[in-house]
Amino acid sequence: MATPAPSRGAGRALVLACGNSLRSDDGVGLKIGCAVEQQPPRGNLNVILSHQLLPEHALDVSEADIVVFVDCSAVTAAGVVTTLAVQPAEKLPRILTHHLDPASMLTMSQELYGHMPARAFAVTVGAGSFEMGETLTATVEAAIPAAVAAIHKALLSL
Amino acid sequence: MPQTITIDPVTRLEGHGRITLKTNEQGEVSEAYFTVTQVRGFEKFCEGRPFYEMPSMMARICGICPVSHLIASAKACEAIMAVQIPPTAAKLRRALNLAQSIQSHALSFFYLASPDLLLGMDAAPADRNIFGVAKAFPELGRAGVGLRRFGQHMIELLGRKRIHPGWIVPGGVNEPLDPVKREEILALLPEAYTNIKMALAAYKNIAGKFEDEIANFANFPGAFLGMVGEDGGLEFTDGKLRLIDATGNILHDKLDAEHFDDVIGEAVEPFSYMKFPYYKALGYPNGAYRVGPLARLNIATHAGTPLADIELKKFKQLANGPVLGSFHFHHARLIDILYGLETIEQLLGDPSILDTHVRATAGVNRLEGAGIAEAPRGTLMHHYKVNEEGKMTWANLVIATGQNNNAMNRGVLQAAQRYVKADKLQDGMLNRVEAVIRTFDPCLSCSTHAFGQMPLSIELQSPDGKLLDSVHRR
Repeated sequence: MATPAPSRGAGRALVLACGNSLRSDDGVGLKIGCAVEQQPPRGNLNVILSHQLLPEHALDVSEADIVVFVDCSAVTAAGVVTTLAVQPAEKLPRILTHHLDPASMLTMSQELYGHMPARAFAVTVGAGSFEMGETLTATVEAAIPAAVAAIHKALLSL
Repeated sequence: MPQTITIDPVTRLEGHGRITLKTNEQGEVSEAYFTVTQVRGFEKFCEGRPFYEMPSMMARICGICPVSHLIASAKACEAIMAVQIPPTAAKLRRALNLAQSIQSHALSFFYLASPDLLLGMDAAPADRNIFGVAKAFPELGRAGVGLRRFGQHMIELLGRKRIHPGWIVPGGVNEPLDPVKREEILALLPEAYTNIKMALAAYKNIAGKFEDEIANFANFPGAFLGMVGEDGGLEFTDGKLRLIDATGNILHDKLDAEHFDDVIGEAVEPFSYMKFPYYKALGYPNGAYRVGPLARLNIATHAGTPLADIELKKFKQLANGPVLGSFHFHHARLIDILYGLETIEQLLGDPSILDTHVRATAGVNRLEGAGIAEAPRGTLMHHYKVNEEGKMTWANLVIATGQNNNAMNRGVLQAAQRYVKADKLQDGMLNRVEAVIRTFDPCLSCSTHAFGQMPLSIELQSPDGKLLDSVHRR
């Protein structure tokens, strides 16, 4: 039986922010996650900060009605904020301990726990440097407010 | 004609390794090598650093078992400081070390090994993963995720971080246990018990299907090393080492960290960066031994907790003497988990666990110190030397996976001679060769990760370089 859609902002929300704080811009996801946690745009919001996506997160994902995955992007230009809707993966990676992606997380939450969020987004910020270091490049640091705003918008879409 | 088969990289391991098989004129596998292709350098680049930085620095060696490195390193530092840590700090460390073994063993058994065990060694490679297990056995998939989550969450509660927690320091731990956290951990235990009991039952049901693998996966006489408590029972953190031979006779007992290298030597081979520790009295390679869950259960007289004692008794009935087949590492890992849960419950149930005196302090009182702990994969030893200012001048680490190196190589040869027919490569037979390595759950280099796809390509070449056959996994 389909779960009735909760009213706007009433469902359980999850922000799963990933990154490596020792690899310069790779840590931007964690900083964005902290910012969302400090000023949550809605109630019933769980923020998880993690080095990477793990199979153990499948339970958290399965318990949410909306999830926003946050990470840097090695593909887009430095500082560019992108919001993408995430669909469950049809094929899952064979080796998962270091290679899980948001689409696979949705599929895993459905297969293991029989539920996945009605809506899922990935908010990414293009990274400029992955060198050793605990500080972000200026371009990426400046993009944090836009990324937080994008997450707020996504979280309030349900 | 002689040929060489290379499996590179070996999949579903922590780190990166390569297997090379060589055949003789008759096409039979005559040589096998398990090669570790990375060099780390931790023992060299710590030189010149203050000794008290060592635990947090050495924990970076591994993203799976940082707690064991923290403990062995802190104990080596405490030998330099010549201090005894407060009893509550010792209990808290024991609990954290067991939480780590639980999460690590859950990763090994459910994520890495269970696809072979539950879906079969010959199952399609595309299905032979935790997702395939989750589809076919959703309850077991959830149990695996649940046990790993329990261990990781407990590490995060105590050490503030799941990976590389900094809570353990020279002299003890840096803050006492919060009663709220204790209650949270205790509340998670019932589900964890349900999960491990389910896993043990499932394993026992399917183990009978693997008689051939049990007989041919690194199944040979050899010695076993591990830690035991004062009473000879299972111990992970604060005991001394016992070495037994293949018949169960004690070769060496009550070995402490200070005298570790009087008894254990290290050899090197040109084909691998991993060292080959051995028992000096028997020389190399005759003194090769195994460590880890199988060794721990073989050397311990009892577990010391009610449910694990029952399981250990049954386990010991698998053989008349030490259990020699390395396939049984999987079973032993599950008993380790059960023991860990029971011991955590006992430790956290003790009111003294909330005592606030959890750290001793001192400066440099000795110029040399060593520490040992049982990591999930077996005995781990850190040995340091410092100058009068406490700056590191020398370090040597003997890791568990290294101590299984010789056995893994012997095991690969044994399995390859049984399963690999060199005229035609088949995925199932090569998977069995890899699966031998997986029984040991080697941790080659957890802190360096590979990004993107990790394909496996195996090529069979004639001596003149002609490609005779190949298998590719994507």
